[in-house]
Amino acid sequence: MTLEDWYRQDRLPHIYCAGCGNGTVLNATLRAVEALGYDINETTFVSGIGCSSRAGGYTAADSLHTTHGRALAFATGVKLVKPKQHVIVFTGDGDCSAIGGNHFIHACRRNIDLTVICMNNNIYGMTGGQGSPCTPKGSITTTTPYGMQEQPFDLCRLAEAAGANYVARWTSFHVKELTEAIRVGLETPGLSFIEVLAQCPTAYGNKNKLRQPTQMIEMFKKNAVKKAKADRNAAEGIPLEPGQFVVGEFVRRANPPLGVVKE
Amino acid sequence: MTGKTEFYNGNTACAEGALAAGCRFFAGYPITPSTEIAERMASRLPKVGGTFVQMEDELASMAAIVGGSWAGARSMTATSGPGFSLMMENIGYAAITETPCVVVNVQRGGPSTGQPTMAAQGDMMQVRYGSHGDYSIIALSPSSVQEMFDLTVKAFNLADRFRTPVFLMADETIGHMREKILLRENVEIIPRRELKEGELPCEPDENGIPGFGTFGNGHNIHITGLTHNEKGYPATDSAELHEAMVRRQVDKIEKHRLELTDVDIVNPEAEIVFISYGAPTRTVRQLLADEPDTYGHLNLRIVWPFPDHCLDEFKNAKAFIVPEMNLGQIAKEVRQYTNVKIITAPKLGGALHTVEELKKAAAAAETATRPVTEVRL
Amino acid sequence: MKLVINEHRCKGCNLCTMVCPYRIFQEGSKPGARGYVIPVLDRPERCTNCRLQKVYGRQLCGMCQMICPDQAISWVEEKPFEPKNVEIEY
Repeated sequence: MTLEDWYRQDRLPHIYCAGCGNGTVLNATLRAVEALGYDINETTFVSGIGCSSRAGGYTAADSLHTTHGRALAFATGVKLVKPKQHVIVFTGDGDCSAIGGNHFIHACRRNIDLTVICMNNNIYGMTGGQGSPCTPKGSITTTTPYGMQEQPFDLCRLAEAAGANYVARWTSFHVKELTEAIRVGLETPGLSFIEVLAQCPTAYGNKNKLRQPTQMIEMFKKNAVKKAKADRNAAEGIPLEPGQFVVGEFVRRANPPLGVVKE
Repeated sequence: MTGKTEFYNGNTACAEGALAAGCRFFAGYPITPSTEIAERMASRLPKVGGTFVQMEDELASMAAIVGGSWAGARSMTATSGPGFSLMMENIGYAAITETPCVVVNVQRGGPSTGQPTMAAQGDMMQVRYGSHGDYSIIALSPSSVQEMFDLTVKAFNLADRFRTPVFLMADETIGHMREKILLRENVEIIPRRELKEGELPCEPDENGIPGFGTFGNGHNIHITGLTHNEKGYPATDSAELHEAMVRRQVDKIEKHRLELTDVDIVNPEAEIVFISYGAPTRTVRQLLADEPDTYGHLNLRIVWPFPDHCLDEFKNAKAFIVPEMNLGQIAKEVRQYTNVKIITAPKLGGALHTVEELKKAAAAAETATRPVTEVRL
Repeated sequence: MKLVINEHRCKGCNLCTMVCPYRIFQEGSKPGARGYVIPVLDRPERCTNCRLQKVYGRQLCGMCQMICPDQAISWVEEKPFEPKNVEIEY
């Protein structure tokens, strides 16, 4: 199978806006899946609701596009009944951490053998740009017209604390690292959580002086601090500057997973 | 039929029925008075090669069994009123994606937390109309421990035959009551029809039911809760397509009402007829045992789709008395199909109707003048 | 190998113009068939992957294809060079 065979050809071009990072994340995911040589019949994509969750429908494998926030619960059912299936979950920041927060922490706690790819665009894109639990403090959205007042979620730390076996964060600019992280995540037994900061120029950038997709990618490039450097800085007492975020692999461990075929 | 005779409560019988029907995946969340089903499944499923998982809530339980069903297993969950309310979201999802699954609702007093240890039948309308949008489902109502077993088996067969969520609407009385039960062996299993080569994933057959594209079997299909076309792809902007999809999904059940009729008709010549389902059926049968020729009786084992044609069997009927453990939910449904006057005999709080109370309702039928009269018992 | 942009898929976000180390992708100026302004290719024969994929037997660089959110960038086989009679005017 070639990479192009993993795309559901009769549904492309997809519905994403020009410059949407979700398409890039879809590329990286399918590239990782293809690199591992997975059988398309043994791969299942599950997704919730939102822009991110439309990604599953553009893959040529079996895909279940479910209800808002519940993708991980549906995926748990699929995986437990057919443990041989490689189950990959596409979710977004609102889907995963707001309405699906409980399912997320419990999927991590169970450490069920899923690969969860969270396209964090800091906003509810599908409904037109409302603030999400991952909207950075001070950002303007349609429901935070005076700037977000609440603390954003750090999904990677949440996943780590809840018990996921593999946790990484990259952006839609770091395509090679992201592809590698997804590949490692797919190979790691137990829950692998890969958070991808993806640009939403239409709903988020538009209100936050990042109107062009290229501007948002430049912002990711500028503000991403690799984990090693962040750790070094932290040891020296240098905190992250405003707007900066850490990218890299946070956890890789081998706690007993659920839903893995016993050999 | 052969099998072992046991002395079980209704919930245990339900779990055994599910296992006999080939259920191999159960996702649930503890809730009184249905917990024994989950407990039984937790202990029995691993021994027969199945999987039990206790989810974080009922939203997730319902989601997991839909996922499990698409992965190819006969899947079930069990709950009671408060959990049933949470399941509504994904019941709608199961309806639009035509996912076969079985949901057991051991009903208790509501609304809200209500009476956790008391029987009620207050979810009969919720099961039919609870999720948003237009859809149709099948709901069964057992009135004995043996029926908990038999109707659970039937529920799985109907779910796979019609590709729909099927509900077993038991109540606390039936769930916790112990009776002699025959654990039938080699029950009839009607498997779901697998999608054929070259057939589209949502292309209906002559019965309006598409083939089932089990995940992992090489069909490579897309399943979505959005309005979808025959390929299964989202197509939300066509009014015609949406109407055609919803109508087909409703019609596949409503147009099979005759096949989906499971009733007992007693004394069809009678003038005063009791219509009952679930626990009140037991009291009506007691009354009929005392006075065999006075009253007619229509017992519903399948409540939804409502078997309206059965009302016509009672040609001399002057009154239909509907004893229910709610404020007259199915009585309203009866009203839609008949001009015969209706006596509702609601009883809340968890106690069953007594024979005396049913006689009181029958006496009220003689004097009632309005189309629908409620008797305060 | 030849670098091509699928005009049916491209939405003109210009992310490819950012990531190409040779700056082969340049912002376009005229709207294409679907109304999006599609980037133009500046001397695409400089692309590493075009030149060396066959030699190394694997994909090289490919940043533009990986970041393209619309799956619009790909490499296609070129037709082999066909000798032609060319009249040269002196």
